[in-house]
Amino acid sequence: MPQLNRGMGLVALVIVLSAGAAQSEQSTLKSAKGTTRPTKANPDALVLQDFKHRVEQYVELHKKAAKKSPPLKETTDTAKIKAAQQVLADTIQSARTGARRGDIFTPAVSRKFKQLMYPELKGPDARETKKVIKDDAPSPAVVPLKVNTHYPEAAPLSTVPPNLLERLPQLPPQVDYRIVGKALLLRDVDANLIVDYIPNAIQ
Amino acid sequence: MQRLFVSIFVLALTITPFAEGITLKLPMKEGSLRFAIIGDTGTGDSHQRDVARQLTASRAQFPFQFVLMMGDNMYGADNPSDFVKKFEEPYKPLLDAGVKFYAALGNHDDPSQRFYKPFNMSGEKYYTFKPKAGVRIFALDSNYMDQKQLDWLEKELTASGSDWKICFFHHPLYSSGETHGSNDVLREQLEPRFVKHGVNVVFTGHEHFYERIKPQKGVAYFIAGNSAKLRRGNINESDLKEKGFDQGYTFMLIEIAGDELYFQTISDKATTIDSGIVHRATTPDGKPAVTATPAARK
Repeated sequence: MPQLNRGMGLVALVIVLSAGAAQSEQSTLKSAKGTTRPTKANPDALVLQDFKHRVEQYVELHKKAAKKSPPLKETTDTAKIKAAQQVLADTIQSARTGARRGDIFTPAVSRKFKQLMYPELKGPDARETKKVIKDDAPSPAVVPLKVNTHYPEAAPLSTVPPNLLERLPQLPPQVDYRIVGKALLLRDVDANLIVDYIPNAIQ
Repeated sequence: MQRLFVSIFVLALTITPFAEGITLKLPMKEGSLRFAIIGDTGTGDSHQRDVARQLTASRAQFPFQFVLMMGDNMYGADNPSDFVKKFEEPYKPLLDAGVKFYAALGNHDDPSQRFYKPFNMSGEKYYTFKPKAGVRIFALDSNYMDQKQLDWLEKELTASGSDWKICFFHHPLYSSGETHGSNDVLREQLEPRFVKHGVNVVFTGHEHFYERIKPQKGVAYFIAGNSAKLRRGNINESDLKEKGFDQGYTFMLIEIAGDELYFQTISDKATTIDSGIVHRATTPDGKPAVTATPAARK
């Protein structure tokens, strides 16, 4: 057992030294105690991890709001569905009064998303992909792009081409991606709110 | 190699007079499954009501059990009064008679429609049900075909065994429409799964006309997106088209008996636009088909 510990210590030392040697290519992460330590990490993965974390934080907020709202469940009474959606939306809006564009789609996340979508928007399937987007996506004149506001209920919801969805991080069921003009939106499905958006994402 | 042969042919069937002057061309076989198809209905205008009247009238001769809705169930606002005007009133006689409606979501539909009980979506944006032994129906959300839905579809299709496999959703994979046309990127995702698991028939809407596509890779495709909206003259000449109608509003009646699916497409003027049979022939061992070869006959 002591031999094993010594062996593991040696391996750890080699890792730390290697990490130090390649520090220029690495990102740093804060440890649990707040100290920074070098670590081998793919910068792209970190950006996506950050996005996932921000989405999770939003979903937590959504879940808390949902607990304070009437349950959204099957009913013949559409007024109940509308009322439940409205309370949910109001609660989330109140909790996010200071919300701004970029809270979830940070500049780094936005850049990464554009990179991820690039092959589908510039590659051999670009024409077909853009045709599907153009076919359904409403313009910003119909859906004003403003964070933490309602997606207009009478406006159509764009179809998001499946090849784009395939490239983007999967989302929890509370939110989805939508396209308005050239912007990619993160939308709260049941509250029908624009959570955040990337302008000029579709190019 | 298990094979499924699908053939579609127009056939003169038993002729039965219809309530409002339509001639029923469906065989009304004992024990058959009967349902109707409507698409892009949610306008609340006179065209929706005219089609709804014919649909209701047809039930006197052809007592269908349920109706599949191809999406765009609610154009514009979807307040409680809209649900009344655009769904409950036009189809009241059918709803009162216990006919069930099963909806798919279109690009004009808020996903919260899944909570509206008369749409029978069980709170889900995509779902499946088995209306009768040997028939499995899948409602898909073509607005948002993410990996989660594709995985679900793969699992459900695998589990459906040798049943008739019928999918319905909003956006057509094949279309001769000038306005929208075929959705190639959606087709790339869905068609391989349809072929692999032997999906027999696909119903869609979105295009505001009726079109029967020539069978593609063994799958029969229908577009029925003109049950309230119409894009007159919108069908292009194309190699895909077997039959098209862009001069009026229609709905479809479907009957499944054994290995035959009979269809009749009827206009709001009580005229039969199209009719025929999708024939499914399984291998002698009766196992689920994994490939399909259409043989069109007229």
